Amino acid sequence: MNRRLIALICAAIAVLALALPVAAQEEEECSFTGDPVMIGGIAPLSAPGAVTAGVAMEWSMRQAVDDLNAQCGVMIDGENRMVEISIGDSEGLPDAAQRVATRLIEEEGIAGAVGVYHSAVGLATMDVFQENQIPTVYSEPWNDNVTIEGLDRFEADGIDHIFRIAPTSTTVARAAVDWLIAQEVEDVVIIAENTDYGIGAVEQNEAFFAEAGVNVETIFIELGTEDFIPVLSRLQAGDPPDAIRIEVTGETGFNVTQQMIELGIAPTEETICNTMQDAIQPEYWEAVPDGNYCAFYKVGIAPANYNDQTREYVAQYRDEFDSEPAGYAMASYDSVFVLADAISRAGTVEPTAVVEALESTDITLTQGRYYFEYVSDNPLPEDGSVPEYLWHQWPDPAVIVIQFTEEGQDPADAPVVWPPAYQTDEGVSLYMPE
Amino acid sequence: MNSVVVAWLLLAGPLWAIVGGAVVYQFYRQQSLSTSRSMLAGVIGGFALGPLAVAYLRSSPRRLTQIMFAILGVIGLFFAAQIIVRVPPAAFLWTWLLLAGPLWAVVGGILVPRRYRDQGLTSDGTVTVGILGGFVGGPFVLAPIWYQMPEISNRTWAGVLTFLAAIELYTIFAVLNPSNICVAMPYAPTYITQQTLNGLTIGTIYAVTAVGLTLIYSVQGIVNFAHGQFYMIGGYFSYYFVLWGTELLRTNGIVGPDFVINSLWGIPIAGLLAFLLGGAFEMMFLRPMHDGKIERAIEYAILITFGFGFFVEYTTLAMVGPFPQRAERFGEIRRVSLGAIEADGEAIFGPFLLLADRVIALVVGSLLILFLLWFLQRTWWGRGLRAVSQDPDAAAVTGVNPLRMNTFAFALGSMLAGMSGAVLIPIFAWVPWIGAESAVRAYVIVVLGGLGSVPGALAGGLIVGVVEALGSGCYPDPSRGAAYKEAFALGIFALVLLLRPNGLFGRKE
Repeated sequence: MNRRLIALICAAIAVLALALPVAAQEEEECSFTGDPVMIGGIAPLSAPGAVTAGVAMEWSMRQAVDDLNAQCGVMIDGENRMVEISIGDSEGLPDAAQRVATRLIEEEGIAGAVGVYHSAVGLATMDVFQENQIPTVYSEPWNDNVTIEGLDRFEADGIDHIFRIAPTSTTVARAAVDWLIAQEVEDVVIIAENTDYGIGAVEQNEAFFAEAGVNVETIFIELGTEDFIPVLSRLQAGDPPDAIRIEVTGETGFNVTQQMIELGIAPTEETICNTMQDAIQPEYWEAVPDGNYCAFYKVGIAPANYNDQTREYVAQYRDEFDSEPAGYAMASYDSVFVLADAISRAGTVEPTAVVEALESTDITLTQGRYYFEYVSDNPLPEDGSVPEYLWHQWPDPAVIVIQFTEEGQDPADAPVVWPPAYQTDEGVSLYMPE
Repeated sequence: MNSVVVAWLLLAGPLWAIVGGAVVYQFYRQQSLSTSRSMLAGVIGGFALGPLAVAYLRSSPRRLTQIMFAILGVIGLFFAAQIIVRVPPAAFLWTWLLLAGPLWAVVGGILVPRRYRDQGLTSDGTVTVGILGGFVGGPFVLAPIWYQMPEISNRTWAGVLTFLAAIELYTIFAVLNPSNICVAMPYAPTYITQQTLNGLTIGTIYAVTAVGLTLIYSVQGIVNFAHGQFYMIGGYFSYYFVLWGTELLRTNGIVGPDFVINSLWGIPIAGLLAFLLGGAFEMMFLRPMHDGKIERAIEYAILITFGFGFFVEYTTLAMVGPFPQRAERFGEIRRVSLGAIEADGEAIFGPFLLLADRVIALVVGSLLILFLLWFLQRTWWGRGLRAVSQDPDAAAVTGVNPLRMNTFAFALGSMLAGMSGAVLIPIFAWVPWIGAESAVRAYVIVVLGGLGSVPGALAGGLIVGVVEALGSGCYPDPSRGAAYKEAFALGIFALVLLLRPNGLFGRKE
C-alpha cells in the first residue's frame, strides 16, 4: 500500500516536473508586465434588452480577450500587457447603459470600449465615451446617426473617439429591400419595433421602397408584448401584401413571426415572409416552429467566405452554443481585436494616440479586412457625394439574405438567396411554399 | 330587397312593434301591474330591438322606466347618427361637445349628487350616473334626472348609460373615421366580432391569472408581487414535464420515438408544482406576518414577495438560459374557421378565424374558472376561504383555521398563475422575464374589477382583453394601434376608477 502511494507521488512529481518547463516556456513567450489593460464591454444581458444577442456578445468578447492574451495581449512601451475586460449590462435601455458606461470609466478605469447592441444604447453611451475620451469600437448599433454624430463631434472638437464595425441601418435595409424589389413586390407591410432601431429602419425602408415605387404600410409594436393577434387580424382583413418584413428583435420578433404564420398571413403564395435576423439563432425553430420558407437577412459573411480565423472562432462558438454565430457575435469578437491592435500600434493607452491608430486600422479578422476609409486624414468630400454615416465606419460589412427551405434547417445549410454574388443553388432567389 | 332590410323586418320593425305592444300590455294586465306605459314600451321596444326587448320587458316589469330610457336612447342615437353623418364631421364634433361630452359630464358629476343630497335622498351612484348622463346627453338626460330624481343606486342606470356612452363614442368615431375598418360596411360587423372573439379568448387567460392574485389579496390582504414569476415558472414546469417525461418514456422503450406527451398534461402538473411552491413560500415567509412576529406586515409582504419574485426569475434565468422556448402545441390543427352567414352568395357576417391552441386555452381557462367558482361556493375549503376573507376572527370561531386558509389561498393563487403559464407556453415564446408584463396586467385587472373580488377579476380580464383587441384593431392610425395596446386598457382602467373608485365589483371599506 505504502509503495503504491509512494509510486503515485513520484509519478505526480514527474508529471509536474515535465509540465513546469512547458508552463515556464509559455510564460516566457508571453511574459506580461505591468498592470493589465482594462477594456469595457457593453451588451444587453437582461430584459427588455435582446438578451439572447447579449449572451452571445458577452461570450464572444470574453473569448476574444482569452485568444488575445494567448497571443500575448497588447504591446505597450515594448512590453506585453495582459488585457482584461469588464462587461456591463445595458438592459437595452439608454439610461441604464449610460450608468454602466460611467461605472466602467470611473471604477474600472477602462482604456477603451467595445460591444453595444441596441442603437439607442449606442447613441446614449457615445456621449459618455466622447466626454471621457474613451476610444470605442461599436460592434452592433446600426443607426446611421452613431457615426454621423461622431462626425459632428470631430468637426466641433477635432477628435472623434467612436468607430463602428457594424453595418449601418442604411446598408442593412438596402440589402433586404433590394432582394424584395428583385421579387417585383408592389405592396409591402413592415412590422417594426417602436425603438430607435425600428423607427430608423422603417424610415430607410420606406425611402428605398419609394424609390422603386413600392407601397409601404408600417405597423409599430412595443418590445415585450406577446399577443399580436388583434393587429395581425387587422392586417389580414385587408388585401394580402406581397411581402411582410419584420424589423423586431428578440422573443417579441419570434412571437410576431409565429402568430403571423399561424394566422396564415405569410409565407403564402401571395406573401413573402421576411423575418428578422434573429432567425439565425437555434431557438428560432423552437419559438417559430412553423417558420419554414421565411427569409431573413444575416449581417456577416456566408460560410463560403470564412477564413481560417473565422472557422476557428465558429468552431469555438458552436461548442458553446451549438449554432452558427450571428453577425453581432462575430463583430463583438472582432471589436476587441480591432481595439487591441490599435493600442499595440499606438504603444500606449493615451486616447488621442489610440484614436489615431484606429483610424489607420488595417487588420484581417473573422469578418474580413477591417479599415476605416473616411478619417481625419481623409475627410468626407465636401460635395456630399459620400454619405456622412461612412465617417469612422468600416465600409465593407456583408449583408446576405438567407431563406429556410426545410423545417428545423441549420442556417448554415439554408440557401443564400441574395445578393446574387453570394447566391447558392444556381442563383435561386426565392423559394415559395408548395 | 336589401338583405339587411329583410333581416330588420324579420327581427324588429313594425311587425314586432305590434307584437310587443300586445304582449307586454297583456302581461302587465295579467300581473296586475300598472299598464299605463306598458303598451308604449312594448311598441317602442319591439320596433327597436324586436323579441329581445319584448322578452326583457316581460322579465323585468319593475324596471320599465330605465328600459324605456334605454330603448328611447338607442332609437334617438340611431336617428341622431343618421342626421349627424349628413353634416360635416367638424360641425358634428363641436355640436356634440356643446350638447354633451366631457363638459356636461363634469356638470352632471357635480350637480346630480348635490341635488339628491339636498332632497334628502341617498346619493349612492349619483356621481357615476351624473357623469355618464352628462356625457351621453348633456342637459337632455340631466334635466329629467334633475326633476324626477329616480332611484339610481342600483347598477342598471350605470350599465344602461355606459352602454349608451359606448354607442355614442362609436358614432363619433364613425363620423370622424368613416373609412376605418371598424366602421366601413359591410365588413365592420364581422371585423368587430372577430376582434371581440380575439379579446375574449386571451381575456379568459388574463382573468385566470388575475383571479389568483385577487384570491390571495381577498384572504391575506396582501398583493403578491411574485405573481408574474409563478405564471412564468408554471410555463416552465409544463415545458420540462413534457420534455423530460417524453424523454423518459422514450428511453425506457415505453413509447415509440415519435411519441410526445401532449402539453395539456403539463397544465395540471404545473398547477400542482406551483401550488406546492406557493404553499411552501407562504409557510416559510408569510406566516410570520400573520403570527404577529412582523411589525410592519404590509411593507414586509411587499418586500418579501418582490424579493422572491426576483429570486425565482433570476434562478430560472440561470437554469434555463435566456433563449426563448415554446412547448409543443396542443394539437395538430392550427386554425378553426367558424361559418359565415351568406346572402346572395356573399358572406355578410363572418367567417371568423380562431387559432386552435387559443381555443383550447379558452376552454381550459373557462373550465378553471368554473371549477374555482364551484370550489369557492360548494366545498368546505372554499367556504373557509370566503369566511376568512370576510372576517378571520369570526371564521376561527366556527372552526376554520385562518393560518391554514392563508397558506391554502396563496397556494391556490399561485396554482392558478402557474396553470395560466402552462396554458400559454405553447402559444408564446417563453423567456424567464415573461411574467413581468403579465403581472402588471393582472394588477390592472384586479384593481379594475375591485380588489379582492373574484367576479371582478373575471370581468376585468375579459374587459381588458376585449379593449386591447378592439383598441389596437380599430385605432385610426394602423401603424400605431399595436404600439398603444396597453394604453387602451389603462385608459379604461383610469375611467372606471374615476367613476367607481372601488372598481367594478369592489366592496366599500
